[in-house]
Amino acid sequence: MENKSLTNRVELRNIAKSFGGVAALKDVTLKAMPGEIHALMGENGAGKSTLMKILSGVHQKDKGQIFIDGEEAHIKNTFDSKKLGIGIIYQEFSLVPDLSVAENIFLNRLGENGWWLKRKKLNQEAAGLIESIGFTIDPSVKVNRLSIAQQQVVEIAKALSENIKVLILDEPSAVLGPTEVLKLFDTLFKLKKNGVAIIYISHHLSEIFKIADRVTVIKDGTSSETLDVANTDKDTIIRMMLGRTLNAMFPPRETAVGKEVLRAENIGIAGKVKNVSLQVNEGEVLGIAGLVGSGRTETVRAIFAADKRTAGTVFIHEKKVAFASPVDAVKHGIGMVPENRKLQGVILSLPIKENISLTNLKGISNGLGFINAPKETGNADSLIKKLNIKAPNGDLATGKLSGGNQQKVVLAKWANTNCKVMIIDEPTRGVDVGAKVEIYKLINDLAAQGVATLVISSETAELMGICDRILVMREGQIQGELNKTEFTEENILRLSIGAH
Amino acid sequence: MGTTLKNSIQLIIRHNTIVIFLIMLLVSAMMSDAFFTANNLSNLIRQLAPVGIVSMGMLLVILTGGIDLSVGSVVAMAGVLIALFSQSMPLSVAVLAALGSGVLAGAVSGYLVSYQKIAPFIATLALMTIVRGCGFIFSKGAPIMVDDQAAALTDFGSGRTLGIPNPAIVLFIVFAITAILLKYNVFGRILIATGSNEEAVHLSGIKVHLYKFSVYAIIGGLAALAGIISTARTSVGSPNLGVGMELDVIAAVVIGGTSLKGGKGSAINTFLGVLILGMMGNVMNLLDITAYSQQIIKGVIIILAVLLQRFQDK
Ligand SMILES: Nc1ncnc2c1ncn2[C@@H]1O[C@H](COP(=O)(O)OP(=O)(O)OP(=O)(O)O)[C@@H](O)[C@H]1O
Ligand SMILES: [Mg+2]
Repeated sequence: MENKSLTNRVELRNIAKSFGGVAALKDVTLKAMPGEIHALMGENGAGKSTLMKILSGVHQKDKGQIFIDGEEAHIKNTFDSKKLGIGIIYQEFSLVPDLSVAENIFLNRLGENGWWLKRKKLNQEAAGLIESIGFTIDPSVKVNRLSIAQQQVVEIAKALSENIKVLILDEPSAVLGPTEVLKLFDTLFKLKKNGVAIIYISHHLSEIFKIADRVTVIKDGTSSETLDVANTDKDTIIRMMLGRTLNAMFPPRETAVGKEVLRAENIGIAGKVKNVSLQVNEGEVLGIAGLVGSGRTETVRAIFAADKRTAGTVFIHEKKVAFASPVDAVKHGIGMVPENRKLQGVILSLPIKENISLTNLKGISNGLGFINAPKETGNADSLIKKLNIKAPNGDLATGKLSGGNQQKVVLAKWANTNCKVMIIDEPTRGVDVGAKVEIYKLINDLAAQGVATLVISSETAELMGICDRILVMREGQIQGELNKTEFTEENILRLSIGAH
Repeated sequence: MGTTLKNSIQLIIRHNTIVIFLIMLLVSAMMSDAFFTANNLSNLIRQLAPVGIVSMGMLLVILTGGIDLSVGSVVAMAGVLIALFSQSMPLSVAVLAALGSGVLAGAVSGYLVSYQKIAPFIATLALMTIVRGCGFIFSKGAPIMVDDQAAALTDFGSGRTLGIPNPAIVLFIVFAITAILLKYNVFGRILIATGSNEEAVHLSGIKVHLYKFSVYAIIGGLAALAGIISTARTSVGSPNLGVGMELDVIAAVVIGGTSLKGGKGSAINTFLGVLILGMMGNVMNLLDITAYSQQIIKGVIIILAVLLQRFQDK
């Protein structure tokens, strides 16, 4: 008899998968024991999400075998995978926006208690589930009213609403702030104690060292040997991922701050933001830190006129402006990389080049609006190269790119314009370490050209690495401003949580 | 061996509209000797001109994720107005005024949809009855004969240029312009992008509302053009014209592989969709199939066409 505790809970053996002739996975092997947190790492486009979608039944493998608790499993669809006790939190959200939180959590079991929805009972159970992982969200609210961090919490609750043996998390922390991440870790530790095998995908190396037992790296569709986290270090993992070492995470830059470009005074949004004033100068990178829900995104969206504000004034080059919509904001030279790339940033069904052109249609067409195709292609190709977007050419549908590469497309859209002000909400969401450095370089280049840049990020280290000044927000208000000399994780956290 | 079969099946599925078109052509030729006669074909395309012209507008509307149910009513109103106006005005002015009435009706729909955020189905349903009513009021409920003074209009409607019926020429021009706009122009690019992800387009600093508004104004103008051509061809402007036409138009667009969700479709495939629908009617007429059976067959073919496109999405 085999000792049960020595059997892998999940084993993927020599998996291969191609999309229309292009190999996404060539030969990947991954084993996770019960009660193990197994980190899966790799560059953008390495094949991590594809591998997990094979396990969850979204994609079918071309070659290889899958074993659950030592028995070979044939997963043909998502239903098979659920029956085997596999839960997954996808990198791109999979909630139904028009249903309530509770309805989403129990979506696949809504019919189990007869025909009628027992709303009260559903809501109670959902609230309990959400509380058990350390959060509070009204379960009767529609999902499309939630921030993306809250949506992520709902995703997690949904995965946990069933008895699972294996839990896959595909970049769960990308949309969470530091405190939410800690709560997530607590939940994972609880699951670990119950013998769940957890596969954790992330581009945050520090998280891996905090929670993972072992790590496997995928490079170009092939898996590395599995390492014990205790016996390895960041540089080793980075080298395995990129095939090279990184000199510095944050490229150094000369700051030459010029005249004021954007000033916002007393911005208010009923119930969300109060009295926020900020100012960004030529060549300056201003960061906004704060917990998720602190009103950072709402503030910049109001400045960009994507949402209505109830109070406040905006000045560009000292002149008062009144934007009716983002059209006016863009006309005045403001660009914004939005928070939610799938819903607001890219058009998944359109080619990469058409997404990139969308912010600069005048630049690729003549006076009558006829598109200069060679110009468009050339323009897109150079940005694809500059940002190192992993795609054969600009004609590929953006939805076929890996998550991190989609993020680079959104940045390319705005790098393609002559903005004076760039607002970037989470610049490196879902981007691998190597590509992060590229994006920081891009932000540096923009600043060097005199662009006034406003960066929101939940990664404190990132803000400290690239900003000249940082504002910290809490509960819709600015709690304080930090100069470069005052940048410490502690200072930022203290202001974000309102501790004295 | 297996892969070539698989590849050719994929090819067929990818180009299913043209495959259906070729099959229809073959079936038509086999079923009736009369089909491939110059007379029948030129009659067919002449009859198809109004539906074809409006289909191009409908394609634009559907690409943005909308729909326009009022087109049949606009066709009737413009058909009545051109007959009326040409009695008292110079023909060119009458044509412009009739076209203007269509653009205006479309602009009202566009305003309601784009700026007042009323669902396109509802807004244009309302316009459908309002405009139909206007047509009846303008005509006092009776068909209006085109005046002898406007003989140029009826001459145009029944005439040919280089052997091609004039209405067909108008259809070709509208088709060509639509195809070019969609393929090579920023305007088409934005319509398709809007239908795919309006929010992303809006946040890119593009006047989405204006574009959404404009497609309704355009389809209004095209419906009016179709109405003028119908009146020119038949010499009467009838307030009963075009009842149920929106269904034929939408069917043609859908048979052409356009997604009703928006964001996906092409002018050439819509054009083929118009021809497929027209040939179906034509052959069934030549075969003396009753109107009732024709409706059933039409419906079945629409379902088949849409099911075929399902595979394409995979
Ligand atoms: N549906 C698809 N059709 C075609 N190619 C695809 C499809 N899905 C993924 N790919 C390709 O497969 C490769 C692996 O993608 P995958 O999403 O698994 O990467 P990833 O490791 O999750 O990257 P990231 O860190 O950016 O999320 C990429 O080159 C991607 O373009
Ligand atoms: Mg991924």
